[in-house]
Amino acid sequence: MIRLSNLSKSFGEMHAVRSLDLDIEAGQFFSLLGPSGCGKTTTLRMIGGFEKPSAGVILLGGKDVTYEPPNKRDVNTVFQSYALFDHLSVWDNVAFGLRRKGVAKAEITQRVGATLEMVQLGELGTRKPRTLSGGQRQRVALARALVNRPRVLLLDEPLAALDLKLRRQMQIELKQIQREVGITFIFVTHDQDEALTMSDRVAVMNNGVVEQCGTPEDVYERPATRFVASFMGTSNLMPGVYADGAVTLDGGLTVNVGQRSFADGTAVSLSVRPEKIWLSDFEDGMTRVRGTVRETVYSGPTTTYLIDLVPGVRVAVLEQNTARSRNEDRWAGGETVDLGWRTADCLVLS
Amino acid sequence: MRKPRTAFAFTVLFFVLLYLPVAVVVLFSFNSQKSLTVYEGFSLRWYEAFFADEALIESLGMSLRVSLVAMVGSLVLGVALALGLVRARGKLGLYAGFIMLVPLITPEIVTGVASLLLFKGLGIPLSTMTVMIAEITFSISYVTVILRSRVAALNREVEEAAIDLGATRWQALLLVTLPALLPSILASGVLIFALVFDDFVLAFFTTGVTPQPLSVRIYSAIRFGIQPTINAVGTLMLLGSIALIGLALLIPRFFGRRGGLSILSGE
Ligand SMILES: Nc1ncnc2c1ncn2[C@@H]1O[C@H](COP(=O)(O)OP(=O)(O)OP(=O)(O)O)[C@@H](O)[C@H]1O
Ligand SMILES: [Mg+2]
Repeated sequence: MIRLSNLSKSFGEMHAVRSLDLDIEAGQFFSLLGPSGCGKTTTLRMIGGFEKPSAGVILLGGKDVTYEPPNKRDVNTVFQSYALFDHLSVWDNVAFGLRRKGVAKAEITQRVGATLEMVQLGELGTRKPRTLSGGQRQRVALARALVNRPRVLLLDEPLAALDLKLRRQMQIELKQIQREVGITFIFVTHDQDEALTMSDRVAVMNNGVVEQCGTPEDVYERPATRFVASFMGTSNLMPGVYADGAVTLDGGLTVNVGQRSFADGTAVSLSVRPEKIWLSDFEDGMTRVRGTVRETVYSGPTTTYLIDLVPGVRVAVLEQNTARSRNEDRWAGGETVDLGWRTADCLVLS
Repeated sequence: MRKPRTAFAFTVLFFVLLYLPVAVVVLFSFNSQKSLTVYEGFSLRWYEAFFADEALIESLGMSLRVSLVAMVGSLVLGVALALGLVRARGKLGLYAGFIMLVPLITPEIVTGVASLLLFKGLGIPLSTMTVMIAEITFSISYVTVILRSRVAALNREVEEAAIDLGATRWQALLLVTLPALLPSILASGVLIFALVFDDFVLAFFTTGVTPQPLSVRIYSAIRFGIQPTINAVGTLMLLGSIALIGLALLIPRFFGRRGGLSILSGE
C-alpha cells in the first residue's frame, strides 16, 4: 500500500531521517514509535506531502507520489495541534474536504452526519471548535480527516494532549474506528504502551533510522537492538562478555544463555524482562541466581522488586498481586531471595 | 496601593492640558454669537453654516474618498506584505521588517516633502489621486506592523490542514488564513481610515488646488481669520474619530476573541 524506500530528509547539517525503508500494508494500524526528535513527524510530513524528501521515493498504492502536493494525495492528516478552523462550526470543519472536492450537497450532508455520529459528536455540529473540550476537539480533527475516506490516515500523536483516562478510552475507540472503516492508519507516538496495545505493526525509530519493524510481540519479546530493548519497557540490561553459551556479567556472575551466534569474548548486554523472572515455584532447567532485595515498590495490581544479584548488577522483577498472593508473602528490603528464569527468556544483545 | 498625591495631581494636570483646548472648541461650536472668546448661548447656527458651505462639503467628500481608498489600498498591500514578510525565507523578512518601521519614525514633513518632490520629478500633476497614493504608501507600514505579529502567531498547521483537505494555496489563504486574521484586518482598517481622515501634513504637500482635503481646507480658512464654523467642523471630526476608534476596539469583542488592536486596548 505504502512503500518508503531510501527516504531521507536533512535540514542543513541536521539529518532528521536517514534512508528509511518501510512497507505498510493496506488496512493496517501501523505505528511509528520513538523518542522525541527521532524523526517521526518528519517522516509523517513527507508521506503527507508537507515536506520534500532530500532523497528517496514514496509509493502510494504503487504510484510515485514523492513530489506530489498534499492536495493531490489520497492521504489525510490528523495534526498534533488538531489545526481546526476556528471560524467555522464543527459541521463546516468536517464538510471542508468534501466541499473542496465538489461532492454533491446531499451526499455531504449524509457523510458529515454519519461521520460525526461515528465519533459521537452528532449533537455538536453547530458549535465552534473553541467551545469544545480537548477530547471533543480531537474527535473533530479525526472526523474532518476520516470523512474524506482517504486510503491512508496519518495521525501525529493525536492523543498526546489528553489526560490519561481519556487517552485510554480514545485508544480503544480509535482502534475500533480503524477496524470499522478499514483505512490504513499510520500512527505516530512516543508512548510504547500505546504503540503495543493499538498496532498491527510497529516501527521503532531512533536518530532518524528504523531500528526494528515488526508486530508488537516481535519488538517487545525479540528486540533486535539494545535501543529497542531499553525503549520498550524495563529490560534489565546487564553488560557482560559472551563465551561458549554463557555470559559473564561485569560483577563476576556467569549466566548460561545457550549457544548464540557471537564470537567468544564479544562484549554483550544480557537482558531479562522483569516479568520473566520468577521468585518461587521454579521449574527444572531454569537459570537460578541468588540476590538481595533492595526495594519493594507496590503499585496496585503489581509489585516491583529491585534486587541486587551481585554488587553493581541490579534487576527489576515484576510480580502480579493475584487473588492467591498474600501481603505477608511479599519480600522486604534486605531479604535474600532466589531468582530464576528460562534460558529462552534471556536476550543477548550486542 | 494608594497613589501618591503628586502623581495624581500631575495626571489631572495632564488631562486638563490635553483636553481643555478640545473642550473649548466643542463649547464654542454651539455658541450663538460669532465671538471666539465669550460664550453667549446655545445654537446650532455654525453647524448650519457648515452644511451650507459647498466648498467645505466638497472637501469633506474628498477626505472621505481619500480615507476609503487609502484604507482599502493599504489593507490589500499591507496584509500581503505581512504574510510575505513572516513567511520569507532567510534574512529577507528581517531586513524588510526594519525598513517597514522607517516610515513610522520618519518626521511626516519629510515624507510630505519627499512625496511632493517625487510627484514633481515624475511630472505627475497634484490631485486627489496623488493624495491617495501618498496616504496609501504611508499607511502600509501601520497595517503591516499590526498584522505581522498576528500572522506570526497563526498555526502553520491550520493552513496545511486546509491544503491536506484538498484546498489549493489560494483557497487555503481565502478560506482559512484571512478569516483567522479578519478581526485584526478590520480593526487596522478602521484605524487607517481615522488616521488618513485626520492627516494634514501629507495631504497638504500632495493635494492639488481644488478640491482640497478637509484638514487642508480648514488650515487655509484659518489664515483668513477664524470662523466659528471651524469649531463645528472640528467637533464633528472629533465625534467621527471617537466613533471609529471605539469601533476598532469593539471589533475583536464582536468576534469573541483577541486579535484586534492590541496596541490600542493594551491587551
Ligand atoms: N523545519 C525544520 N528545520 C530544522 N530542523 C528540523 C525541522 N523539522 C524538524 N527538525 C529536526 O529534525 C529532527 C526530527 O524532528 P521530528 O519533528 O521529526 O521529531 P519527532 O520524532 O516528531 O519528535 P517529537 O516526538 O518531539 O515530536 C529534530 O531534531 C528536529 O529538531
Ligand atoms: Mg513530532
